[in-house]
Amino acid sequence: MNKHPFVRAYLAGIAIPTVVLLLVMTGYTIIRYVYDIPVPIEKVIVFPMAAVPNAWGLWNVLYLAFLARRHFSLGLFGGALPLLLAPGGYMVTRLLGFAVPHEVYHIAPFALPVGLIVYYLVWKYFVGFLNAELGIA
Amino acid sequence: MSEREMEELKKLLKESMPAMDAELRRDLWPAMQQRLAEPAIRMPWWDWALLAAAAVVTLLFPTMIPALLYHL
Repeated sequence: MNKHPFVRAYLAGIAIPTVVLLLVMTGYTIIRYVYDIPVPIEKVIVFPMAAVPNAWGLWNVLYLAFLARRHFSLGLFGGALPLLLAPGGYMVTRLLGFAVPHEVYHIAPFALPVGLIVYYLVWKYFVGFLNAELGIA
Repeated sequence: MSEREMEELKKLLKESMPAMDAELRRDLWPAMQQRLAEPAIRMPWWDWALLAAAAVVTLLFPTMIPALLYHL
């Protein structure tokens, strides 16, 4: 189990968002096409589908490469990822001309701390568990 | 191949291969018992507090849920 630790870190990192994405996409598809909600999500879906899981995998690789030996908290490191993803997601919506509802801007000051907390907990317990199972904790 | 050559070949083969360590070097059962006795993952109180705070804010502002899911 000592071979290819960075590949294992990448796989442990992408596991959680890949599973969650399946559930979220199912929900979005039902809302969009069954209930005819007029939000063209498919225009910007490339961000959560492609960028987010890869970002998680690479973030875990970075943690293993630079911080794991120093016993830095995986939760805190993972909790910092929204600070990159939130501007990234916003940039994608702007580049693709997706009209973000104004309510999103109003709740952003509350949504960001909640996102940081969720990421902190998910990285600490779920990604940490996967890292331990794959022998890279 | 004569009987003597066969014996010699067997001897050479045995010499060329390292002896297998078929016996365990230590008893693995105590370590297994220790692992089984370990408590399940425990969350400290501040993690529970963070989770509760996130849940409360999400309930107060449910419109943030699609935005959060988009970035997950």
